Amino acid sequence: MDTFIQLTLNGLTLGSVYALIALGYSLVYGILKLLNFAHGDVFMVGSYVGYGALQALGGSANPKVPLWLLLVLITLAAMVACALLGVAIERFAYRPLRNAPRIAPLISALGVSFFLAYSVQLMFGAQQRDYDAFSLGEGTLFFSGFDIGNVRIPLLRIIIIVSAFVLMVALWLLVTKTRIGKAMRATSYDREAAAMMGINIDRVIVFAFVLGSALAGAAGVMFALRAPTAATIGFIAGLKGFTAAVIGGIGSIPGAMAGGLILGLAEAFTQGYISTRWSDLLVFVLLITFMLFRPQGLFGKPDIKKV
Amino acid sequence: MKRAIVLALGTLGAMLMASTAVAQPTAVAATGTQQAVVSCKSTLKIALVTPLTGGAGFLGNAQLSWAKYAVKTLAPKYKLKVRLITGDTPVEQGPAPAQALAQKYVADKTVMAVIGPATSGAVAATSQTYFKAGLAHISPSATRTSLTQGAVKEATPAFFRVVGGDYIQGPSDAKFMVEKLKVTKVAIIDFQEPYSVGLADAAQSYLKAKGVSVTRESTSVKTTDFSSLVTKVPNDAQIVFFPTQQPEDAQTFGQQLLEQGKRAKVFGGDGSNSPDKFKLAGSYVSNFAPDISGFAYNKALIAGWKKANPKSGLESFGPPTYGAVQVALNAMSKACAKGKGTIKDRRDVVRSVKSIRVKNWILGGDFRFSTRTNDPLNARFYIFQIQSNGSYKLVG
Amino acid sequence: MDDETRARDYEEAVPGAATTGGPAIGKDEWVARSGERRSRRGGILGKLDERLAVVPWWTWLALFAAVVALLPVGFESGYVRRIAFDTLIYVLLALGLNVVVGWGGLLDLGYVAFFGVGAYTYAIVSSDKFDIHLPFVLSLPLAAIVGAVVGLLVGLPSRRLSGDYLAIVTLFFFQIFLTVSNNSDSIGGRDIAGGPNGLINIDPLSIFGHELKTSTDGIFNVAYLYVALVMFLVVYVALRLVDDSRTGRAWRSLREDPLAAEMMGMPVNWLKLLAFSFGAGVAALSGTLATALNGSVFPQTFEFPLLITVYTMVILGGAGSQAGVVIGAVSISVLLEVLREPGDARFLFYVIGLLALVTALKLSVRLAAVLGGTLALGFALHALAGSHDGAWTGGVPNGGGRLAGWVDGWVIIPKALAGWIPPASYIALICVVLGLTLVHGRLRLALLVPTLYLAAFVWENVMLVKPEPTRFVLLGAILVGVMVARPEGLLGEKRVEIV
Repeated sequence: MDTFIQLTLNGLTLGSVYALIALGYSLVYGILKLLNFAHGDVFMVGSYVGYGALQALGGSANPKVPLWLLLVLITLAAMVACALLGVAIERFAYRPLRNAPRIAPLISALGVSFFLAYSVQLMFGAQQRDYDAFSLGEGTLFFSGFDIGNVRIPLLRIIIIVSAFVLMVALWLLVTKTRIGKAMRATSYDREAAAMMGINIDRVIVFAFVLGSALAGAAGVMFALRAPTAATIGFIAGLKGFTAAVIGGIGSIPGAMAGGLILGLAEAFTQGYISTRWSDLLVFVLLITFMLFRPQGLFGKPDIKKV
Repeated sequence: MKRAIVLALGTLGAMLMASTAVAQPTAVAATGTQQAVVSCKSTLKIALVTPLTGGAGFLGNAQLSWAKYAVKTLAPKYKLKVRLITGDTPVEQGPAPAQALAQKYVADKTVMAVIGPATSGAVAATSQTYFKAGLAHISPSATRTSLTQGAVKEATPAFFRVVGGDYIQGPSDAKFMVEKLKVTKVAIIDFQEPYSVGLADAAQSYLKAKGVSVTRESTSVKTTDFSSLVTKVPNDAQIVFFPTQQPEDAQTFGQQLLEQGKRAKVFGGDGSNSPDKFKLAGSYVSNFAPDISGFAYNKALIAGWKKANPKSGLESFGPPTYGAVQVALNAMSKACAKGKGTIKDRRDVVRSVKSIRVKNWILGGDFRFSTRTNDPLNARFYIFQIQSNGSYKLVG
Repeated sequence: MDDETRARDYEEAVPGAATTGGPAIGKDEWVARSGERRSRRGGILGKLDERLAVVPWWTWLALFAAVVALLPVGFESGYVRRIAFDTLIYVLLALGLNVVVGWGGLLDLGYVAFFGVGAYTYAIVSSDKFDIHLPFVLSLPLAAIVGAVVGLLVGLPSRRLSGDYLAIVTLFFFQIFLTVSNNSDSIGGRDIAGGPNGLINIDPLSIFGHELKTSTDGIFNVAYLYVALVMFLVVYVALRLVDDSRTGRAWRSLREDPLAAEMMGMPVNWLKLLAFSFGAGVAALSGTLATALNGSVFPQTFEFPLLITVYTMVILGGAGSQAGVVIGAVSISVLLEVLREPGDARFLFYVIGLLALVTALKLSVRLAAVLGGTLALGFALHALAGSHDGAWTGGVPNGGGRLAGWVDGWVIIPKALAGWIPPASYIALICVVLGLTLVHGRLRLALLVPTLYLAAFVWENVMLVKPEPTRFVLLGAILVGVMVARPEGLLGEKRVEIV
């Protein structure tokens, strides 16, 4: 039982990071029908910006500001920097290709991904960067918290899960309740019709990139609070987030959230109960089978082509 | 369209010119066994072959910083003019770049020694080429046992290594666990890359032979979240043997063990030896050298390196590279003495390597090669326990 | 393009077409006069173009083959020959990917896994692992067939999943391949293919019982270059024939508009599968050759960077054009090698920079202004910095080479670089270059001068200091740059999306 609770907790922590990355894929896909392969590397850049901000604020051993403010500040720094990066990527790598064949922006995205990963390595080297969140507040983040059975739920995990959830709900409200959200939904139904209704498509697209990339930045910080980051993590993180988006039905916001949590839990349980060695394989094989029978994912709508 | 083609053709032309520049000094004298006599007054080259980019880039960059420093400070002492050239062999590109680079260095008669290849796979793939051309290759980090030992050796007599292989580290770590720590249950984790699989296998077979109960887990080197691996560590296991190449990973794993209330301690190999990054009290680390900053004669050396690399920590994979360069330079100067100011044949360098002795070896004590294999003599591993102030205390 | 402009273009291209004679019966005006609609350049270059256009493709192929075949005569170094061999492997890989991406219009993100499938197949049937030693004439087709069949299996889902989902499925297949090959030392507790330690001591090629040694006295055996060349010729001609066949035309129509192709009664799914399998087969084929020479195979080889490298080759050369893809593969492969040496990389940088300026600005006053301005700015800044503090210009250009002396007097190379300068200047350079694409006219010309100098500064102080990541940064930049500025690549055909 304890193992089950612990694995669930592991899956939820991992899953909320995946979900945040998945949201970025889904937002962009919903509006542009573009798989933004560079998204994982935006996430990686976010974790580096967070590291830089942490060092600027005195490092984890003796920070200059209170703990809660520190966490908020480094997350904000990463979100802002990633939002800017997202806008730049959209403006220079995707917008010129908006009317090109479908495959063109995808290839451009591969190029951006590679460029970002190796630029970071060029600037900051190949070694890992560790936030050392363990030292923050003398271990508060790891050891305070509450217990379920014999399992301690540490503060850091609570912070990660709750703040990911808050961000997702905020996004959900933004998309369903506000004017710009309405414009986004309209654009994703039918871009041309939306343009004819006087919606500024460019602005909507840029906004989707801002939101998606900012979430990736936040995810980058949350991830790096628990594990060291490096210039090469973008690819695998992006792959996982992307997988989560596909499970949930790419383009669907609740789908991305659910997909992230499902993937996180699936990974934790296969590792915990079946095999650490083959967990990746199992997850991907399951996924391909799943996609064969339900290609639109859990929450997606079947893709009906308009002619 | 046409403009682009003109540009492309021009580019190709420029590349051809540049590549002839690469080939020029070599094309003259590259016919098979014929040797060019090289004056020791001219600039000689040492090539460092290591992954500088990709997933293992951290390893190569640590080695590069020490190799640069060694060439800069030691070459004048041996009265040699030496230029360090680098060959990037990302593990993601397999043996092909290592082999192409081997061809390059074999053809370039001013390359007198190769430091590396850093990874065991690259050694196995290129040692024949270096051997046939009589080029010494001295690795500071290739530890696979079968390179120098066993019925079918994967490396040739021109291959040397300045650190002991897995055949020492795995069993000596396991021996320490059994004899000093009196373990009964150990969890072993490997990362599906040659370094950690080799060490994990060696330790596992020793432990099993001693009747210790072992659980083995295996995960991808790209794994970023260890928490479910931590969950799988049995509650009554005393030690998690964790042969990672990245000290940050060992640190994270140890913290997560504490977070989940496991009592097992992390036991890392030389890959996690880094007092700056792996500092979790109670953990164990094994390394091929005692704390190198503990030797009085290393003080100036380390201070000088720190000055050249202010942001880097003193890690495991770097300092042996300094030693390897030292051996190479020493052998080159011996070959020069033998050839009276010239090196007639690079085989002279290979011949001298074997007899090199270094006093005040950077890793401690005096250095010499074993008479039977091209491994260091009396290589042994030292085991440290991390203290609550983060310092490494020698315990075995 | 809307109808009005189209009509205007037609009017311009075929003056008087609307008035003379009217439509002829039994003759499609639009098709018959297609030649007149092409824009031609005048003068000597135009004449040259015309002449070159009628040279048949096999002449070029023969020329290329002759250059490669004669390469060992000019270069005795094993290194150059080995690089030529590796380049041919890349060319083969790029040709295979061109079938999938260029002709089929499918995004295959698992392509290098098929290269791996071929490599492992060859390794398993030609090593001591299971003590099977098949002759090359058997193992080669075997590997190609295994590759093609696996390609078929992976492609099967694409029958149901359209468009982007194919990219997803292939990406997952790629990951599955990596997981399996990395764990091949304990599949059901058995060691199949060595896991992370790979397979070593793999047989070299044996042709009719005659074993082809991979090296003589440690020097690369040039026979392998010729084997690769023969294989390249066979694959090139075979693909060329396929392209000219019904299937080739069907692929093209499929790529341009799958929906229309389906309506015309084409077996779209089957065609997709075929393209996929073809590509996979070619990749597997090149895998065997590379493995036979390397004598070993490791799972880490078949990773993301290789995929990006091959994609860059195809895109740079022009997806769809075989000749373009070959040029792309050769350029990228040589570029990656030249960039290893900072001295050569420096030379290449300034020559390409100069060439790019000349092609962009032509031989004009503007060119002279930009060049003169940049030179003057450089010397002025260098003198200023030097007089302020000698250490600011006290550094040495990394790697030497033919331009090092000149660069030392022109670019500021500080003796010791403060830690924040490399990232800051690099990011600034990216921002400025991106910004340049947004402004036009005089302003762009004026901004070009400091940008060029900044580029030289970053090149000397950041990128040449670490030539290794620089190589890959450039690959990514080329991929994006080509896609944005010229999606058809060097030799590809411009495609117009009909909406």
